[in-house]
Amino acid sequence: MNRFPLYRIGGPSRLRTRAAAATVRSTRRSFEADMDLFGVLPALTELPHLAAASLASVPLATAPAIGLGITAAQLNSGAIAPEAAILIALLVCLLVDLAGEEAAVRWVPPICYAGLGTALVLLARQWNAPLEPSFLGSFLADDLAVAFRAVVAASTLLSLMISWRYVERSGSPVGEYAAILLAATLGAMFLCGSTDLVSIFVSLETLSVSSYLLSGYMKRDARSGEAALKYLLVGSAAAAVFLYGASLLYGLTGGSTGLDAVGVALQTSATPVTALALVFVLATVAFKIAAVPFHQWTPDVYEGSPTPVVAFLSVGSKAAGFALALRLLVGCFDSFDTQWKLLFTVLAVLSMTLGNVVALAQTTMKRMLAYSSIGQAGFVMIGLVCGTEDGYAAMVLYMAAYLFMNLGAFACIILFSLRTGSDRISDYAGLYQKDPLITLGLSLCLLSLGGIPPMLGFFGKIYLFFAGWADHQYLLVVVGLITSVVSIYYYISVIKMMVVKEPQEASDVVKAYPPITWNLAGMGTLRTALVACVLVTAVGGVLSNPLFTWANGAVTGTPMLQQSIASSAAREATAIAAAPVPPTPAILG
Amino acid sequence: MTIASLTQLICFAALSITLVVGSLGVVLLPNIVYSAFLLCGVFLSVAGLYLLLNASFVAAAQVLVYVGAVNVLILFAIMLVNKKEDLAEIPRLALRRLLSGGVCLGLFLLLLRVDLTTPWAVPGPVGIGEGATIRIGEHLFSDYLLPFELASVLLLMSMIGAIVLARRDVFGSDLITGEDVDQGLIEKVRPPLLLDPTTPSPSALQETI
Amino acid sequence: MLSGLLLIPLLGAIALLVWPGAVSGERLRRTCLALLVLQVAWSLRVLWQFDPTISGLQLEEIAPWVGSLGLDYRLGIDGLSLPLVLINGALSLAAALVTSTSTPRPRLYYALLLLISGAVNGAFLAQNLLLFFLFYELELIPLWLLIAIWGGSNRAYAATKFLLFTAVSGVLILGAFFGLALATGTADFSLQPLLGQELGMGMQLLLMGALLVGFGIKIPLFPFHTWLPDAHTEASTPVSLLLAGVLLKLGTYGLLRFCLGLFPDAWQLMSPWLAGWAAVSVLFGSLAAIQQQDMKRMVAYSSVGHMGYVLLAAAAATPVSLLGALFQMVSHGLISALLFLLVGVVYATTGTRDLNVLRGLLNPERGLPITGSLMIAGVMASAGIPGMGGFISEFLVFRGSLVPFPVPTLLCMVGSGLTAVYFLLLVNRVFFGRLSPPADDLDTPLPAVPLARQIPALALTVAVLLLGVAPQALGTLATATTTAMGRAPQRLAALPVSAAPDRLLAGGMGQ
Repeated sequence: MNRFPLYRIGGPSRLRTRAAAATVRSTRRSFEADMDLFGVLPALTELPHLAAASLASVPLATAPAIGLGITAAQLNSGAIAPEAAILIALLVCLLVDLAGEEAAVRWVPPICYAGLGTALVLLARQWNAPLEPSFLGSFLADDLAVAFRAVVAASTLLSLMISWRYVERSGSPVGEYAAILLAATLGAMFLCGSTDLVSIFVSLETLSVSSYLLSGYMKRDARSGEAALKYLLVGSAAAAVFLYGASLLYGLTGGSTGLDAVGVALQTSATPVTALALVFVLATVAFKIAAVPFHQWTPDVYEGSPTPVVAFLSVGSKAAGFALALRLLVGCFDSFDTQWKLLFTVLAVLSMTLGNVVALAQTTMKRMLAYSSIGQAGFVMIGLVCGTEDGYAAMVLYMAAYLFMNLGAFACIILFSLRTGSDRISDYAGLYQKDPLITLGLSLCLLSLGGIPPMLGFFGKIYLFFAGWADHQYLLVVVGLITSVVSIYYYISVIKMMVVKEPQEASDVVKAYPPITWNLAGMGTLRTALVACVLVTAVGGVLSNPLFTWANGAVTGTPMLQQSIASSAAREATAIAAAPVPPTPAILG
Repeated sequence: MTIASLTQLICFAALSITLVVGSLGVVLLPNIVYSAFLLCGVFLSVAGLYLLLNASFVAAAQVLVYVGAVNVLILFAIMLVNKKEDLAEIPRLALRRLLSGGVCLGLFLLLLRVDLTTPWAVPGPVGIGEGATIRIGEHLFSDYLLPFELASVLLLMSMIGAIVLARRDVFGSDLITGEDVDQGLIEKVRPPLLLDPTTPSPSALQETI
Repeated sequence: MLSGLLLIPLLGAIALLVWPGAVSGERLRRTCLALLVLQVAWSLRVLWQFDPTISGLQLEEIAPWVGSLGLDYRLGIDGLSLPLVLINGALSLAAALVTSTSTPRPRLYYALLLLISGAVNGAFLAQNLLLFFLFYELELIPLWLLIAIWGGSNRAYAATKFLLFTAVSGVLILGAFFGLALATGTADFSLQPLLGQELGMGMQLLLMGALLVGFGIKIPLFPFHTWLPDAHTEASTPVSLLLAGVLLKLGTYGLLRFCLGLFPDAWQLMSPWLAGWAAVSVLFGSLAAIQQQDMKRMVAYSSVGHMGYVLLAAAAATPVSLLGALFQMVSHGLISALLFLLVGVVYATTGTRDLNVLRGLLNPERGLPITGSLMIAGVMASAGIPGMGGFISEFLVFRGSLVPFPVPTLLCMVGSGLTAVYFLLLVNRVFFGRLSPPADDLDTPLPAVPLARQIPALALTVAVLLLGVAPQALGTLATATTTAMGRAPQRLAALPVSAAPDRLLAGGMGQ
């Protein structure tokens, strides 16, 4: 039964057989040992309050398993098997790292691939599996969670593949880098499936703290330090705000932290306290997905962080943020959907406009992609605001498409900066002559981000706009259409640099371009990841039907979303029945 | 009003006043050492509030963690970085203060309104006194098992991250090629484009955007 | 069957791009030419199988693609798209032929050429709105690259302007398609079931307006035309040829197929205004052309004017005028391609296109007699001299539109007269003119253009002449379709014109 030795104390026999006093002793010991370390993390220090306060007052009845003993079957711990695989890989990476840097350089990559690959396989096996909550309601591996966790795991896999050479070239330790990135993945994946405020907070913090560490990983570089500090300060503030909101929600439920209890409590309360909780929770989500006006950290952090980390942050972290948004807003705040949809409409319009317009003025690739990722998040928010089956499916689909096209673009940028030490857009001038692979790959990925057919991004974007239009979100779709024209302009200007410039107009770094070699360790995987991403981006569009089926399956296989769709349909039906004239667009005629 | 509830009220008032005044002092006093010590007082009064709520374990944890660890750390940091530094004058400081004060006041009023309009479920669940510690332990190993275990990953990662960031040994060279490395971003800082003497031609300048 | 028209150029383009190893420019050129010849042959095969008596779609191919989007792979051909597909094949071949053998970066160049050809075919054949949009956008980046890389000195500006205008046009079209598919409640983008859906008039007007502006940018019509002269001036000759000959037709094709075909009621309501717009566009294009000093800009503005006729004909929407619109699209494709080709020859040999500098080129001593003669033929055709392709199309357009919209038609006729004015100016200055003293280096004998390079121009001239003297060939292909299209709006609200279209057509053909 006990398939996971890591969960040593969750085993079947312990709680049942030992005396209560022994349990308490061991609990307190480990708790105190942990608490000593809490002091290191300012953002985390709020945690014991919430947990302890909630625990102290929960009546025994809400935790039926207590005192009866819990078996692994009750925990349904198989649901977190993919995370367990990653955790094992993480620990093995740390152990291997003890043997020295040479061993780490050699062995850490295959260990990471094995862990993430196993995780992806296990996730595939969870797809459409019979659904039951695990860890007594802390975690739920529904199809939505599986889809987003797969996006996160795949983004980590690709980010790692493109980062080995970068990390080694900068002289940073590889083992710890991989371990921290895997921990961030772990946090993001748990965040996708958490159904409990405490679990959400802890996984959010795991993701955030690892992200802070990663963005400051180039520790001798002032920009990296600045990025980490900014990220830490803003991120801690966001975490504190979330905690405040969560405590209000906890207060409303009167003693439970489960999201379903929160949802039930919110259905009956319409006081200002819920509005406040909504705003606080929404601010955290918006911070995580970098929606305007919670985006200020993005450009600086993207510019100062190591580029592979940016790749992960822009895809994996963002996917987790959207999963969190779905869980909290659709799952809990369903009875307030007009309110949060209005707020998200504003956020989406601002994100699309500002992200895409400011990206026009950027001179470095990383900053440009930072602003472009803000704009892209705005596009995805259209699907969230729709709240229809197509809307959610379009979100999932676009995140999957974004995974490949954005990571493909980052792979090209990393390759270029490894060869030239630059990421200025003007330095790309005339690149087609020296490096056709980067030129072709980056062009295709940027065109896909701009939504040019027949790339994958075109289909994703069309689906988002289609879903938005079908749900009468005309403002969002019109803004989306206009800003995607703007985005074409700045994506195209990079392509213009690379493809159109003649050899005599080439930049200095391109003129002094080193001969293309792939024999260094880490370059082969970089090339593999690059080619894979570009291939999927270019060909995936034409062959996108399976992807559409997958995205639709993720929505139909998720009871939470189905419930929300059904209830909003019912609301609409009653509204139409109540209103004398149906508010359909046909009335225009 | 029984004597017990009166005592409780007096204790609550005393603790609250200490808390509010202490917090204001932390924020407003210019000397950072005073702020740090006042923070210690604030933490202690919070622990007192927990005691009033019958949550002795949390109170103990509060004292141990915040007063014992966090605050001591802060004091150490202040003492180690005891460097007088003249900060640059902030332009329009009065206006800024006024604005931030306004925002805070607004937030306070909002919270006040929320507090007064919400039908709180008072009194809450009955405290179970000494049993709370056992209850916490039971919860941590049952329905909060997942976050509890995940917290250990989080702490492990923070520890490793802190070590990585703080340790001094730097690889002087790339392990594979033997080139010199500097643990900085691969994308090097370069002078702004317009000042760059190596810029080949004015046409390249126009193409930057 | 129809997929061949897409697959040959598109797969060919990909193959050219990714073919490993270095390939000489000459070999790339030959491969590209072979593929284009194959494409023309394939389109002739389609022509062979085409039954001109059927007004609806033929040779349909349907395959599911992305069900969730309502996007399926649905191709079909009728009398409206078949001539345009043929023109596209021929002009792509001509563009590849006139490309200099020493063009830089041949691999990319020929691949892009094939890509555009395939995308345009796809747009003409697509019977699903989203599929049309996909192909419409697909042609955008290749053409942008063709202008931006192989263009003149100010190419970056012109290319970006073209890109932004066309992207905006694409956005408008996409928005209108969304509105259409979802307002009708079907969420299905296939073209056929949508025809005949009757929406409310306000919705129809809104959606049609968006489509009209979208396609109006592409055609281009008067206030949206500013990208075209710049793009033409900076583009190289083969690209100009493709742009004027084929890509502008995407706009007019969209106008006929979608604006008129999907919103017959709204079209009916707006048609007087549209006719007026057409007249304004024609007059503006013609007057602006008179002012130009650059030969290429002049031809570009003449395009603005001549495409206005199509709008006029579409506004009238009588069977005759629609046939005229199709004739105008075909003949303008051929004539403008011919003119751009010849201007390109002049520019290549003299190094300038300035009307104030050039003179006397027809003189055999100067070296461009054949070019000059062909130019005169092209100009005559463009001005609508009987016996040429331009005449028959303008006649049909005016004959069909005169009764419903007399004033705009008369104004357009004035525009047609102005065409003669500016093209006479051009021919007079560049090709006639007096020889100046030999000291002027421009008057030194120019290198003779080899006859082989003139073959595309000669072929185009022959085609223009054939279209003029034997219009029945095209007429029989298209009459069934255009008549059906022209009748549809009349059935809804009887137009004053009720003359039997067949008789009128016979009269038109007989000229």
